Amino acid sequence: MKLRAAIARLQALFRRRKLDRELDDEILAHLELAEHDAVAAGLEPEEAREAARRNFGGIEQMKENHRDRRSVRWLSNLQRDFRYGLGSLGRDPGFAAVAIGLLALGIGANSAMFSIVDAVLLKPLPFSEPERLVRVWESPPGGRNGTTTLTFLDWKRQTDIFEALSVEASTRAAVTTDGDAARVSGKEVSADYFQVFGVKPQIGRTFAAGEDQPGASPVVVLSHRFWRTQFGGDPGVLERDLMLDGVPHRIIGVLPAGAFDRDEAVFWKPLIFAPAQLNRGQHWLNPIGRLRAGVSIEQAQSRMTALRATLNDVIYQKDWGFAVDPFAKQLVGDTLRRSIYLAFGAVLVVLLIACANVANLALAKGATRRKEMAIRAALGAGRARLIAQLVTESLVLCLLGGVTGVALGALMLRAAAPLVAASLPFTADLSMDLRVLGFAAAAVMAVLILTGLLPSLQTSFGKLSDAMNQGARGSSGSGAAVRRTIVIGEVAASLVLICGAALLFKSLAKLQQVDAGVRIDHVITMSADLPMAAYPSPASATTFYEAVVQRLQAVPGVERASVSQGLPLQGVQWGEYLSVPGVRNSLTARVKMVDPWYFGAMQIPIEAGRGIESRDRVGAPPVVVINQELAGALSKTFGIANPVGRTVGLDVPGYGPIPESQVNPQIVGVIRSERTAGLQAPPELVAYVPFAQAPRQDINLVVRTRTEPAAAMPGIREAVREIDPNLPLGDVRTMEEVKEQSMLWARQPTWVVGAFAGVAALLAALGLYGVLAHAVTQRRREIGIRMALGARPGDVLSHILRSAFSMLLVGFAAGLAGAFALTRVLKTLLFEVSALDPSALAVACVLMALVGMLAAWIPASRAARVDPMAVLRDEG
Amino acid sequence: MSESKTEVPYGTLDLLILKTLDTMGPMHGYRIARRIEQVAENLLRLNQGSIYPALIRLEQQGWIGTQWGISETKRKVKFYSLTRAGLKQLSIEVANWERATALVARFLEVEP
Repeated sequence: MKLRAAIARLQALFRRRKLDRELDDEILAHLELAEHDAVAAGLEPEEAREAARRNFGGIEQMKENHRDRRSVRWLSNLQRDFRYGLGSLGRDPGFAAVAIGLLALGIGANSAMFSIVDAVLLKPLPFSEPERLVRVWESPPGGRNGTTTLTFLDWKRQTDIFEALSVEASTRAAVTTDGDAARVSGKEVSADYFQVFGVKPQIGRTFAAGEDQPGASPVVVLSHRFWRTQFGGDPGVLERDLMLDGVPHRIIGVLPAGAFDRDEAVFWKPLIFAPAQLNRGQHWLNPIGRLRAGVSIEQAQSRMTALRATLNDVIYQKDWGFAVDPFAKQLVGDTLRRSIYLAFGAVLVVLLIACANVANLALAKGATRRKEMAIRAALGAGRARLIAQLVTESLVLCLLGGVTGVALGALMLRAAAPLVAASLPFTADLSMDLRVLGFAAAAVMAVLILTGLLPSLQTSFGKLSDAMNQGARGSSGSGAAVRRTIVIGEVAASLVLICGAALLFKSLAKLQQVDAGVRIDHVITMSADLPMAAYPSPASATTFYEAVVQRLQAVPGVERASVSQGLPLQGVQWGEYLSVPGVRNSLTARVKMVDPWYFGAMQIPIEAGRGIESRDRVGAPPVVVINQELAGALSKTFGIANPVGRTVGLDVPGYGPIPESQVNPQIVGVIRSERTAGLQAPPELVAYVPFAQAPRQDINLVVRTRTEPAAAMPGIREAVREIDPNLPLGDVRTMEEVKEQSMLWARQPTWVVGAFAGVAALLAALGLYGVLAHAVTQRRREIGIRMALGARPGDVLSHILRSAFSMLLVGFAAGLAGAFALTRVLKTLLFEVSALDPSALAVACVLMALVGMLAAWIPASRAARVDPMAVLRDEG
Repeated sequence: MSESKTEVPYGTLDLLILKTLDTMGPMHGYRIARRIEQVAENLLRLNQGSIYPALIRLEQQGWIGTQWGISETKRKVKFYSLTRAGLKQLSIEVANWERATALVARFLEVEP
């Protein structure tokens, strides 16, 4: 019954006109009947009408009572204010457009950014019971390392801990459709891989137990996107085979759309361990597991520690333990987390400044409406009622701004998603979902408080006579002080952002200037994977790359071609022990395989001895070339001053599934260090092993061209096709692009913060302009009198500019204090730039001052053009 | 005006309307007001208009229903009638009223 009444009351809000009309009809009928009765009782018609009226009581009073009774009073007030608010916005479309635009910009940018924050940092992973997902490691003191095949198999048997435990290894394969080979990325995984993630296929099935054992027939699972693009979403795909490196694989299932649609893998096939991989020497596996229900991370950890104790006899690394980490922990690195927080902070500041501007506009409008408010107050409206009216008017603004903002945010997100996707973990699903809308609603509420409630509290509802008099006098009043304070706050907040942006840009510039140790220009790179079927032996791989390099050398425009494993700035895959015979100590060095032309193609100078040469082949004495860093480390660790000619012990990875084995190469040369791990990382210790003595299937081609690198690509493709028509080339990039990608982590937050800082500065300038323009308009008479008394236009101009400058100065003081507070956040994101770098901060101040003075110039010059005669005539 | 008339006791207008509709069946607003005045034999001072806010509330609670009909003066008017929920409510209100008057009466009986 209660509910029914409540619904009826709410309905009454929207059926107001109809209900009023019905009531009027009833009243008329009532009076008519009463009059009729009275006449029947013998009264004169005139008397009868009067009696009917008298007996009825006050009609208007009753109607008001009727409205109150049938509806909810505050709601119907709200409704009226809302209509009134819409009307008053319509009367001042300029103000409405600016305010809604500002709020939409702020809320839109915040919603888009929040979607990223939510997807990367807040939302649970898009898998069932994600808290049960773990990564399992071997743990050297203070670190994490991959594990070996046999140890992994030991772990897999711990079924009381893990419901499923699986590994994944990235792989690539040539997919041939209609005679054209394309290289696609995939993963080799354990059979229970999809159980770990709790992912059910959309059609077909995933791997069955045993399909990752030797002798199982080849099967493959496709990603949803690959199924759509490659097979047109054919539901009969399960009858078909996928040719991977020329080997038919039966398609057994297609995954659902979502988290598994990503560029790094479009197909999954079982990882079958080769007999040679069944060892405890090669730490190449990174297992992901699903804990059994009810097993906590701590319990899993303690059981794994107990297991480790029983394996002490077989594990070589005696001081390594086993470790279990939550899966989510690994996904978001510190740099990304900080960058996202920084960008989110910046966008919040933009919203604050936008709010400040709207509040300022509202205050200026409030000053001009003081008369209206005073009249209303004089007519008996309570202070609360007037505030409610003002707040409702801002509510209209905020809602319009919010709706526009969410639409704008969706557009921003759609534009930004492809740009940032590569920097985010694969689990991040960027979308304007309910959570983002909830955030936007909360933002609208906060904005409402900032732009509606606070300014309306500031508006005085004083005496009518005061308001009338003040209006006539045209003075700026006490509201002006509040508005100046708000502008100072805006200047301070935007200065903080500009300082941050200036520091980040300086850091980016420094990063860009770092000498990569290789010549970046005119180099094009690509990658290829030699399939095991076509290149079963190390010798076959060597033959291939020698033929390719020779053939490429003949392509017009090519200056130098070479083959390596890995590219500069992208990290070196292998890290191995390096020892000196007779010494217990050892070093860990990165091991990179390069052919005899790599140093030449990359223009890496040889500092001592020689580079790698064609004579360093299988059967010839093993050799190694080291970089200066490693030479320095050898001198420090082993006291070897002149390394050339010395023999060292070094583990070198084998071909295909063959594990690494120790060789004893002679150091034949020292080269100047190239940056292997990115521009920001100090050079690593690197040992270069001849490709011919340690061939790989996963190779990079590096080609230095005489002309525009892209122009040489058709010739390069043709040349490779002549050697192997079935081998597709992938990752075609110039070295410049490789460098750009290696700097993405720094570039993206820099540009995002830079863009927000720019917007913030413009908004602050707009605020400054607004306050000064308003002041000039209000003080027109004063300025006119001053000029009539002899002030020159220049004096007026400098007077206004001085007042702007004093606001800017106070803002700068506060802003710089804010920038100091920001130091801690920024520090880790800056490269070789102090978070208090004076030149960057100075540039920021100068920029802000320029923008601010420009904003002040327009109203100031208008003030200087005031014609005293016109002003005095107007107001006389 | 006549001083001897009393106001409608606070909160009892609802009860009077429900009881009226219960005894008389469906009626329009004016008849309800007149009926109340007649039963009170002019001892009651009632602004006839004040029954309309009460009627809309009772209708919203679902205790009375409405139907359009034609008045004696050939005008379209709303006829109000008691619903089943209204009948139940009437018995509740009657019981409440009797309890309240009994209570007050008991206080009045107490000798000082």
